[in-house]
Amino acid sequence: MSREDLKQMAQRIQDDKKKYAYTIFACNASGCIPSGSEAVFEALKNCVKDRKLEDQVRVVSCGCMGICAQGPIVRVDPDQSIYQKVTVENAHRIIDEHIIGKTPVKDMLLFSHEKEPLINSFEETFFKKQKRVVLRNCGRIDPQSIDDYIAEGGYQALEKVLKRMGPEEVIAEVKHSRLRGRGGAGYPTGLKWEVVYKYVSDKKFVVCNADEGDPGAFMDRSVIEGDPHRVLEGMIIAAYAVGAQKGYVYIRGEYATAIKPLETAIKQAKKNGFLGETIMGTTFKFDIEIRIGAGAFVCGEQTALIASIEGRRGTPRPRPPYPAEKGLWGYPTLINNVETFANISAIIVHGGEWFCETGTTKSTGTKVFSLAGKVKNTGLIEVPMGISLREIVYDIGGGILDDREFKAAQTGGPSGGCISKEYLDRPVDYESLVELGSIMGSGGLIVMDDTSDMVDVARFFMEFCMDESCGKCVPCRVGTKQMFDLLNKIYIGRGTMADLKVLEELAIFVKEASLCGLGMSAPNPLLSSLRFFKEDFLQHIQRNEKVVKPLI
Amino acid sequence: MKPPFPIEIDGKVIQVTEGQTVLEVCQANGIDIPVMCHFEGLPDVGACRLCLVELKGVPKLLPACTLRVAPNQVINTQTEKIKKYRKMIVEALFCERDHVCAICVANGNCELQDLAKKVGVDHMRFPDILQPLELDASHPYFVIDHNRCIMCTRCVRVCAEVEGAHNFDIKNRSYKVRIISDFNQPWGESKTCTSCGKCVAVCPVGALWSKSSYQGKIEKKKEAICDLIRKRKVNV
Repeated sequence: MSREDLKQMAQRIQDDKKKYAYTIFACNASGCIPSGSEAVFEALKNCVKDRKLEDQVRVVSCGCMGICAQGPIVRVDPDQSIYQKVTVENAHRIIDEHIIGKTPVKDMLLFSHEKEPLINSFEETFFKKQKRVVLRNCGRIDPQSIDDYIAEGGYQALEKVLKRMGPEEVIAEVKHSRLRGRGGAGYPTGLKWEVVYKYVSDKKFVVCNADEGDPGAFMDRSVIEGDPHRVLEGMIIAAYAVGAQKGYVYIRGEYATAIKPLETAIKQAKKNGFLGETIMGTTFKFDIEIRIGAGAFVCGEQTALIASIEGRRGTPRPRPPYPAEKGLWGYPTLINNVETFANISAIIVHGGEWFCETGTTKSTGTKVFSLAGKVKNTGLIEVPMGISLREIVYDIGGGILDDREFKAAQTGGPSGGCISKEYLDRPVDYESLVELGSIMGSGGLIVMDDTSDMVDVARFFMEFCMDESCGKCVPCRVGTKQMFDLLNKIYIGRGTMADLKVLEELAIFVKEASLCGLGMSAPNPLLSSLRFFKEDFLQHIQRNEKVVKPLI
Repeated sequence: MKPPFPIEIDGKVIQVTEGQTVLEVCQANGIDIPVMCHFEGLPDVGACRLCLVELKGVPKLLPACTLRVAPNQVINTQTEKIKKYRKMIVEALFCERDHVCAICVANGNCELQDLAKKVGVDHMRFPDILQPLELDASHPYFVIDHNRCIMCTRCVRVCAEVEGAHNFDIKNRSYKVRIISDFNQPWGESKTCTSCGKCVAVCPVGALWSKSSYQGKIEKKKEAICDLIRKRKVNV
């Protein structure tokens, strides 16, 4: 398949779609499903059938549009009107009033791009400060249809790479973009690819890490649910660059709604010659298999993930050797996060230079966050790196629920930390967050208001780490349990200052002596809470010391 | 044979050859590094973290048992920080389960006890994680007492790698991890156990013992297992 073929194909699909006067996108992602979006989708489809509009109106079940708090969301194109909180009962009004009557249903509208008179603050705020690269197609195409992806320019990056670039050029372009791993640690992606490329081996593997386990995080699943082909394309390009013949997507078993579209996407890609023996008519061959995780947080750690794919107990092993040297079955293996792969096709198409234009010098591009907690607009957002926390919480998030006081933002899940309000104006990038004792993490962002008790927050995350510790190394296995017990003791009002001292000592011990990233970062929420919110701890302890007065 | 090259350990320059681990080099040169999950001849897992060393230029501490020597390495094995962590690891092991020496078969013949003496643990600063566990005496010759187990997984490895039976494995996560027999069956009902007793011989503490032993009188034939592995390797 040549470049022209692909472009013609895209054109043909677009022309095909033109016969529809309207396209209705009904969000059917994990955020909207619990609020009944599947029934809404059926209702819309039945309504279109009843009104005999099948030839003019296309109803599509699509991925996340971002405004999860207002779900189920329905968008009507080409007017770009977004309807919020659509129910089975009022779904027919969209067809009857908007499509047949040609007037948007004002009371259900979130906002419309038809200027008059429906613009509300939502458009000005929620979307204005966002920049969609990874989520470009999310909510705009049918994730179950490869045609939709191709029509949006999909697989053109792959064609460019296979026909006109050598592996070294691809790696150079990714290095030039200064893209950093989106899984959390922020290791330069281009460098990682180069290391794998340089190892000489008859077999190499590419693994996509979709074992997203942080509490409150749903970025990776949303990307896969909304645009699975983008991830596949990134993986195929990576395989070409490092010289791999086989790829695995390691995805959590809980993500049933993401596994299905991914399976469909792989089948479609194989059928259309983007995966398999002779990809796009070249001699390059690559195949992708799905591996479903059994619900262990630690399997997001590279070496544990490898063990799990190999069929062994998912426990980490000491590094070095790194997976780039000895990974799956001892062969060089490239492991990247879903979001990292999702960035690749845009970098190839527009160039590394274009990618650098967004973000800061050290952290380029955009980052997808799942904004959760006590903010008005919870949802899936994609922002340029370097944006301030204040902009995320107050402009995009719309401020704190019930207009209460902001207390802390938790980034990076159980491996991250809490950031207090003094640092609201710090830019959100890899370095700044580490400086504040937190990490970028995979992109969970939980906002807390002044009713939150930081001891309880630290206790919650410690309990999570304790439960998810694999139990292999002593510091993590025993240390997390000890820290949880001490935090619990302080929380119920039985703690003393001596406990606090032991707690701090244990935290440093677990951080430095543990085997893998889980243990090394497990004390982070505690340490950052102690750093910024020590009063909360002291309050709990003083409560105890008032009751138990010293005898002398 | 590959040519030897020098590395620096604790200020001493030592000639090493490629493929050796730092632990092997230290043991051959009289540098004392405490170990627990390591057992000569078994594959190393780096789990107990007692053999942590500082490698110049690497921010995190690395276990000597899995760290391979490489040119220009500068290693410190006895810094204050490492000593402190070694002590904390032993303290953590003691408070994790029920380690009462006075009533233990391994009293006086126990690696954990020796370690406590070596790193200077005389009391426990951390609260106990009291979790009364079961004791499986269903096997005709041997007993496994989970209360004394420190999860070094030597028994799992010796059973799988040396005996080839793979009777033992691990279940659960976090502090709830346990050694299990077959599919979490009583040891006595195991179809894979060959009753060879290698697991009993390699157990560093009193978690595994033979029914013929009694308090403080356990006999661990560790050297016999080491010898067996060494001889097999020569034959291969």
